Amino acid sequence: MRDVYIIGIGITTFTRLEYPLSEIAAYASMGALKDAGVTDVDYVLVANMGSARINNQSALASAVVDTLSLTPAGAVRIENGPASGASAIKEGFMAVASGMHDTVLVVGAERMREVNNLEATDFVATLTHPMAEYIYGVTLPGHAAMFTRLYMEKYGVTERHLAMVGVKNQNNAMLNKDAHLHQKITMDGILDSPEAFTNNPWVAEPIRFFDCCPVSDGGAALILASKEVAEASGKPMIRITGIGQATDTLAVHERPEPTDLMAVRIAAQRAYEMAGITAADIDVAELHDAFTILEIAESEEVGFFEKGTGHLALERGETAIDGKMPINPSGGLKGKGHPVGATGVAQVHEIVVQLRGDAGERQVKDARTGLACNFGGFGNNVVVSTYARED
Amino acid sequence: MEREVNAYKCRKCGTLHYPFRMVCKNCRANDYFEFDIEPLPKRGKLLTFTFIHNLPAQFEVARLGLGIVELENGIRVTGQVDIEDPTLGMDVVGNVEVVRHDTYDDRYGFVFRAA
Ligand SMILES: [Zn+2]
Repeated sequence: MRDVYIIGIGITTFTRLEYPLSEIAAYASMGALKDAGVTDVDYVLVANMGSARINNQSALASAVVDTLSLTPAGAVRIENGPASGASAIKEGFMAVASGMHDTVLVVGAERMREVNNLEATDFVATLTHPMAEYIYGVTLPGHAAMFTRLYMEKYGVTERHLAMVGVKNQNNAMLNKDAHLHQKITMDGILDSPEAFTNNPWVAEPIRFFDCCPVSDGGAALILASKEVAEASGKPMIRITGIGQATDTLAVHERPEPTDLMAVRIAAQRAYEMAGITAADIDVAELHDAFTILEIAESEEVGFFEKGTGHLALERGETAIDGKMPINPSGGLKGKGHPVGATGVAQVHEIVVQLRGDAGERQVKDARTGLACNFGGFGNNVVVSTYARED
Repeated sequence: MEREVNAYKCRKCGTLHYPFRMVCKNCRANDYFEFDIEPLPKRGKLLTFTFIHNLPAQFEVARLGLGIVELENGIRVTGQVDIEDPTLGMDVVGNVEVVRHDTYDDRYGFVFRAA
């Protein structure tokens, strides 16, 4: 396999965007092309979950490649639920590593605010098992709630720990101009004061409003390139060192141990094995905190902390930007936002910003290696990838 | 109307599956029509639960109870929970009822109540 580098990055602000989905994707792509200093690519991968249903547009990749005047480059839409973004990066990696292409544009985009929040939640819920889960009214917040209750019972995680993840990530998002939420929150405001639970009502007991990521529009893009192209670009040499993917049962109730996120664990092991590293070698991570409990659970399954101790590391401040294992300096899905198809690409956008040393006030000191965990379904399709700066 | 929620028993190795799958996850037997249909038992223990407050329009309730139940035969199912103040591990009994009204169809599934 050939080595694969990231030579360009681009992103839109994550918020409610009033322009068409294909233009959201194109805007992020133009940023990445400009950053890489290229005007042409061999292949275009477009990660998106909902265009056909939410935006009434199928075959999105054809629209994106045309909007960018990149025709006749090959173009494919990758739909893999909330893991669409990292799945597209993996396909792009393989396209360059195999020698088939030298320069690949990977862009993720979603425009979810075209429908109301309940419709968006119901749309995302269609990724659950149609007969054994979806018919009952199961939503992703519902899955996260049932998982959270078990985690609380088994490991002593409390509402306070969940709120701490939310406060940390929304405060990190304050330092990220592209983040969706620029609202500083405090433990007092969402947990401790008399009016806290008016500010922070139940979504699905025991999780509350500030345990959930917002519904966002947005796009993020990367230019992947061979070593030869990367060296010629003059950009920092950031290599994709490992990519692992794993799946688990579609119906959550079928898993032998319901507090396990097996697919996260195996995807991480596969990525580390490919990269020839361990969790201890990672300087900065972006984890898929669509719900606060997921940051805690994923931080354990990718190997940063022992199972059942992630909330204790959080309490000690280890996951803060200046902690031992900084997690979600971008604000994560919680603060930065979660335009579903864009998320996996946006996580890697942040890793590249960090490894380039361009993160400003949210810079993790001396970051040379990074990890991203893009969590699809409720843990049934997960991609973990690792990165290193080589120059 | 009485409906059943069924498990699927592999004819080669006897493993029970719920929900349905085409290939046995234990022995991976790969012949067509290799499962026998077996109605699931109705009694079990509540493993976890939630009350969802923001529901799609089809659900005309303010909050909806949902849970995962381990049935007497060890098979786990997701279902609706119609219990005011449930506790983890409590005994429940399921009844098969309409759980969702879609545009053209009523969907049947488990609703669990205290045993
Ligand atoms: Zn079998």
